Amino acid sequence: MSDQPDAPAEPDTTPLADYAADITERLGAERYTVEFDTARVFVAKDKWVDTINEARGELPFFSWLSAIDWSRETEVGEGVADPDKLEERFEVMCRLSSVTDDKAIIFFATLPKDDATIGSLTATIGGAEWHEREAHEMFGIMFEGNENLVPLYLPDDFIGNPLLKSYPLIAREVKPWPGEVDVEGLPVGDDEGSDDEEGEA
Amino acid sequence: MTSRQLMHRSEVAVSVELETPGMTLNIGPQHPSTHGVLRLVAKISGERIHEIEPVIGYMHRGYEKLSEVRTYAQITALVNRIDWVAGFANEVPFILGVEKLVGVEAPERAQWIRLILTELARISSHLVFMCSFPLELGASTPLMHMLRDREHILELIEDVTGGRFHPNFNRVGGVKPAYGGGSKTKKQSMDLPAGFFKRTLKAMDLMDQTCEDIDTLVTGNELVRARTIGIGVIPAEKAIEYGMSGPNLRASGVAYDLRKVDNYLPYDQIDFDVVTRTGGDSFDRYLVRVGEIRESVKIIRQAVDIIPAGPLQAKVPRVLKVPEGQVYSRAENPKGEFGYYIVSEGGKMPYRLKIRSTSFSNLSILPWILVGQLIPDLVAIMGSLDFVLGDVDR
Repeated sequence: MSDQPDAPAEPDTTPLADYAADITERLGAERYTVEFDTARVFVAKDKWVDTINEARGELPFFSWLSAIDWSRETEVGEGVADPDKLEERFEVMCRLSSVTDDKAIIFFATLPKDDATIGSLTATIGGAEWHEREAHEMFGIMFEGNENLVPLYLPDDFIGNPLLKSYPLIAREVKPWPGEVDVEGLPVGDDEGSDDEEGEA
Repeated sequence: MTSRQLMHRSEVAVSVELETPGMTLNIGPQHPSTHGVLRLVAKISGERIHEIEPVIGYMHRGYEKLSEVRTYAQITALVNRIDWVAGFANEVPFILGVEKLVGVEAPERAQWIRLILTELARISSHLVFMCSFPLELGASTPLMHMLRDREHILELIEDVTGGRFHPNFNRVGGVKPAYGGGSKTKKQSMDLPAGFFKRTLKAMDLMDQTCEDIDTLVTGNELVRARTIGIGVIPAEKAIEYGMSGPNLRASGVAYDLRKVDNYLPYDQIDFDVVTRTGGDSFDRYLVRVGEIRESVKIIRQAVDIIPAGPLQAKVPRVLKVPEGQVYSRAENPKGEFGYYIVSEGGKMPYRLKIRSTSFSNLSILPWILVGQLIPDLVAIMGSLDFVLGDVDR
């Protein structure tokens, strides 16, 4: 998913895709993708703050900020994932939208895990503080310029970053149910066949 | 009080001029005015707040982590519990997101059922606000009236879904057939319970009366007005900067309603207004919600008229495998923009689920809005923001 070549840009001519192409060019971002009515614009890590501040001129609404951990180290129930697919990086994402129509862009920046630091948006977006604090405690990402990166949800003495893929969900380790197990137990073959016949009844 | 009586007049004059030393006041996490387990650490001098630090996380249940080890169907049950006063409305954006990834669309009737139940959830959520907001200002009568009337709404939701608060009613590709199920009855077209529309319309008539009650009890109440008009003014730019949405944003004069801009349910076939006010104070936030109850009643009346017959479920495989992709799906919940960023790597469970909960963003403005306010106004302002701690902490 992560390193897909550029966008289904050319054939896709929805207004959102046009807009995403336009704003990518204007902001000097790296690339964009539009799929499932979701426009994503990828920017370089060191241009993160500037790009978002510039974009806020037309997309003022700060919707949210979060991150994705792309290392599939220990997916519960699936053991260690394919080492080829293992990516030691985070993606930080921030969604801005318009307050008059449905224009919205999610900005992405990639951070290597050994240098998980990115500029903070709090100087211009007050609402980013809590979101950055959450991303900090959940992923261990540093936001340079956010003076108040104290834990938001977790107790002060909590150790670890729970949303990392390497952080085990203890409850699931000791008791696999409910999860994949009971779903896998369902009769797949037969039932699916009959579903197809009856589906539209 | 004897010491005061004994004080000489000159002494009193001196003590008035004395500066009150600053102190730190801890409010909550168990406090009647905090709606739940919210803790506020306020630096005050006298009654004036200089700095305030909300401490949240007492209700943090780690839904984003839990979602990574649950199938999409199981997550629907989970997200009901985020904003529990409007459980149904939480499911809708999630299911719509999954449907986009899978590439199915719910049949028309299912979409209309979703719309009606979302609006019922909106009324129910706003009625809870109509209980708690006056209560925090010291008026306990509206609580009784609103909870009584909300019961009619909850009964309707329960009739259809089987659950008052946690319906868990949406399925990928439609809604759950109301009764029965299983292999024997699968062929029957199971539908809304008999007489549902009639009861809904009756409840809507009752809601008209409820709105009148609200106006009589609260809107015209001199004390409520004195304590809320001009208190806690949030300018539009600040609201936008903090990601405030829903009635809180519309009270600041921004007519931003996802039901109008994002066609996620057939709202475009319905004639309704976006309620806005321009003051941005606590009273306006209250008035917007009263207006929205009236609009929701209007929407439901029309929807009951329009809703077509048809199946409730599109054809979806029994074991749902969601293809690779990333989608952000959002909806206008009673409290504002509620969204899910779903990252699917293929398979039965999402790789990552970011939950954009409304109250979290709405509450993040507290450190800004409460500075310089008086302690008694703190209650009025917080009450007017209408948050649910489960929605803040997830």
